[in-house]
Amino acid sequence: MSMSTAVGGRAIVFGDDVNTDVIIPGRYLVSIDPAELAEHAFEPLGPEVQQRLRESAVVVAGRNFGCGSAREQASTCLIGAGIGAVVARSFSRVFFRNAINTGLVAVECPDAVDAIEDGGEVLVDYTAGTVTVGSGTFTFAPYPPGLRVILEAGGLIPYLMREAEAGQRG
Amino acid sequence: MNMVEKILARASGRRSVEPGDVVVAEVDLLIMHDLSGYLTSRVFDKQVGGEVRYPERVAMVFDHHFSPPTEDAAAMLQANREWARRTGTHLLDCGNGNIHHAVVQRGLVRPGGIVVGSDSHTPVHGAIGAFAVALGNDSHAGTVLPHGKAWFRVPETVRVELVGTPPPGTTARDVALWLVGRIGEGGLIYAAVEFAGPYVKELGFWDRWLFPLLCVDLGAKCSFVEPDEVTEAFVAGLPAGAADRYERSDGGEASTVLRFDVGEVAPQVACPPTVGNLADVPDVAGRPVQWAELGGHAGGRLEDFRAAAAVLRGRRVHPGVRFNLVPSSRAVFTRALQEGLVLALHEAGATWFPPSTGSNQAYNMGAMAAGEAMISTHARNFPGRNGSPESSMYLAAAPTVAASAVTGTITDARELR
Repeated sequence: MSMSTAVGGRAIVFGDDVNTDVIIPGRYLVSIDPAELAEHAFEPLGPEVQQRLRESAVVVAGRNFGCGSAREQASTCLIGAGIGAVVARSFSRVFFRNAINTGLVAVECPDAVDAIEDGGEVLVDYTAGTVTVGSGTFTFAPYPPGLRVILEAGGLIPYLMREAEAGQRG
Repeated sequence: MNMVEKILARASGRRSVEPGDVVVAEVDLLIMHDLSGYLTSRVFDKQVGGEVRYPERVAMVFDHHFSPPTEDAAAMLQANREWARRTGTHLLDCGNGNIHHAVVQRGLVRPGGIVVGSDSHTPVHGAIGAFAVALGNDSHAGTVLPHGKAWFRVPETVRVELVGTPPPGTTARDVALWLVGRIGEGGLIYAAVEFAGPYVKELGFWDRWLFPLLCVDLGAKCSFVEPDEVTEAFVAGLPAGAADRYERSDGGEASTVLRFDVGEVAPQVACPPTVGNLADVPDVAGRPVQWAELGGHAGGRLEDFRAAAAVLRGRRVHPGVRFNLVPSSRAVFTRALQEGLVLALHEAGATWFPPSTGSNQAYNMGAMAAGEAMISTHARNFPGRNGSPESSMYLAAAPTVAASAVTGTITDARELR
């Protein structure tokens, strides 16, 4: 497969226990449009953070990122804002599941989190299981094939639809 | 195998499962509220299509709106109603109560079954002996609605054993909050948390309910209390009657056991910004509150209104406080009427609201201005969840909420004179 499994760019760094009400406030949950949701991503932290988010490609966070609600928009709003990957010390269980299901790369790599500076460049390769920060490379357990195929299809529903079509043809 | 493993084995057609296995299992009930139901049904119609495989296994509860406050909200509920009618799924419309309490009272949650929902507190149904997990909308739309199935990784089990008898004035809600502080937020990421031990066994069903409810704050995947005679008696009293199936552990140890003595737990308050930011009530007493509320996933129970009535007997709500009472279901309001609690609390100055999830996320009530504070039985206290990010939400047990409503400051009910 020649398809690239690396995503990266400028990092925006957050702390521990970033909850879903901060990522996307509950009053915007009537939308499922990534672009519309992106306008309100991290709104409680103010316009300066929102501007930096739009200029970034990777969200970096401490432990338990995405705790709180099961809302899938916590992942889709980041995709809408142009984020390709989240690197954290750890994720809340539902955020991780939602990230994969919506096609957002989410990796746990504490050593990389320690090394990444706000505004610095980061490259995540989820097949190789590496996070590259400047001259340093940090490793994490690569995704199992079952999760990779969902991510590469762009999320759970596109994956299932493609499988269903393949099943009908086959 | 324990309860969770047995349920997952049965529902996936396997003889046995072990932690770490990934299984595709039949789902017995998908629950959605008015917000997640709107999203899931739209994603299903636009991106998936076709028939809902088992409409009788899907329930939508309008609990964030007891009545739509805007035209947009009315249109959303109208679309949900039309979808539920078209697909033949259960609809519990405005006024039926909080999503989790309402589906239990309706008899839709059955022991031994698998319950999924978009609401992060869905694991609370482990209290009735179900395997219950929060999934995102796309999982529902992509696999549960069209196929009646979802995939699960079998979780490792952590047993939390509670021993001892707390001092008078400390309720099950206080013990549950205290545990979040002791174990730590995100302390049990991905685990199945079993609540056990003599303290839990002696609690009634609706007090046990408060423990699996908090497992999301521990980072857990699901939680449960092994069904016993308390569970069986409770289930037998529901509209669907006694259950024909219970799954129980056939022995074997949990991978981890945590033991706590609850003998000296004081009444607790979870201060902003998270549920794990706990204090003994005396340590935060005196902070002003303008709002008090019994409602939400963790409140609005009959037990809460009884406790509030006991505190308010011979007293009145402080003139600077609005005390909201939000029954968690119609069944609770019926009992509150029969027991005289509705009149007693009304005359003491509190205000009754329709059964719903109350001020949770301030969809139809409960927004706060900058500088205001609320003390409530709700399940979350993230800043900005109820209006201004400059407002404060304190989480506590019903006696503390009621005592604070009397004085206008956070108050230890044991100290109220």
